Amino acid sequence: MTATTSPRTAAGAPQPADGAAAAPAHTGSRPTRILGVLALASSALLVLYGLVISPPDVEMADSVRLMYVHVPSATYLYVGCFFTTFASAMWLWKRTPGWDALAEAGAEVALVFSFITLGTGSLWGRPTWGTYWTWDARLTSTAVLTVLLIGYLALRRLDLDPGTRSARVAVLGLLLVPNVIVVNRSVDWWRSLHQGETVARIDPTIDGDMLVALMVGFLALGLVFAWLMVHRFRVAWLEQQADRFDLDEALALRRAEASAPTTPTTPADTAKGTA
Amino acid sequence: MIAMTHAGYVAAGWIGTAALLGGYAWHVVRRGRKLSRQVPASERRWS
Repeated sequence: MTATTSPRTAAGAPQPADGAAAAPAHTGSRPTRILGVLALASSALLVLYGLVISPPDVEMADSVRLMYVHVPSATYLYVGCFFTTFASAMWLWKRTPGWDALAEAGAEVALVFSFITLGTGSLWGRPTWGTYWTWDARLTSTAVLTVLLIGYLALRRLDLDPGTRSARVAVLGLLLVPNVIVVNRSVDWWRSLHQGETVARIDPTIDGDMLVALMVGFLALGLVFAWLMVHRFRVAWLEQQADRFDLDEALALRRAEASAPTTPTTPADTAKGTA
Repeated sequence: MIAMTHAGYVAAGWIGTAALLGGYAWHVVRRGRKLSRQVPASERRWS
């Protein structure tokens, strides 16, 4: 490893002395570039199917086109929460930094998808229900889940010992999937304006080009979700390494200061020392 | 094609989604580039 022998940058990171310096300084790789191209291509296909090919709904007219974004984004909000809860449980068991990074990535990406879910839901609700927001069971439980995700990410930013912080956020991360279950089942457990399941059943209640557009929506947003998860995981990993590297630097500096002989630095100190 | 009645809601939803996802992706990539310069290449296992 070149870290101990190579020159350092202003930021303190060791630089390889040979041609390895050409290693790209970003979170991308060949697989993520392929994933990114597929995500962009499927997103273009979603625009074509969602806005051009699929017909307007008999009851909801063109506002149904919001479904092709809203339903997949809600699904990937759930998936992000599952990632966080699973990784939190694994961190509490294994205590390895990779699980902590995965939990953080899952929560942040899930929060982005929760904003999309709430935003598109409100815009869909206005022409359909006549209101942007109502304290309906599904909407309220989704808002609670969003607040929980914000709280989770805020807790991660507290200035605590990394081990203590990871343990606390892991416990909070365990609560996400139970909340997801409440959100998902809320339309069955309580009286709700929100419609029930339309796709996740043996005989979907939509068909034809609308079903195809919805499936393309799942594909496109799924690829975007995967791309974001990989990059965000790598960012979380880099943050951990940068923190560790800063700590190592600080410890080395303190050791060097402690082992160095104490010498007077000013004429006054010299006078004191000789007096 | 989209009739004008609901076009505003549909456009706001789709454009908002694209802007949020695009903005977040850009933010993540920028953070990754900044942090990558502070960490040894040996720790960037995907490089």
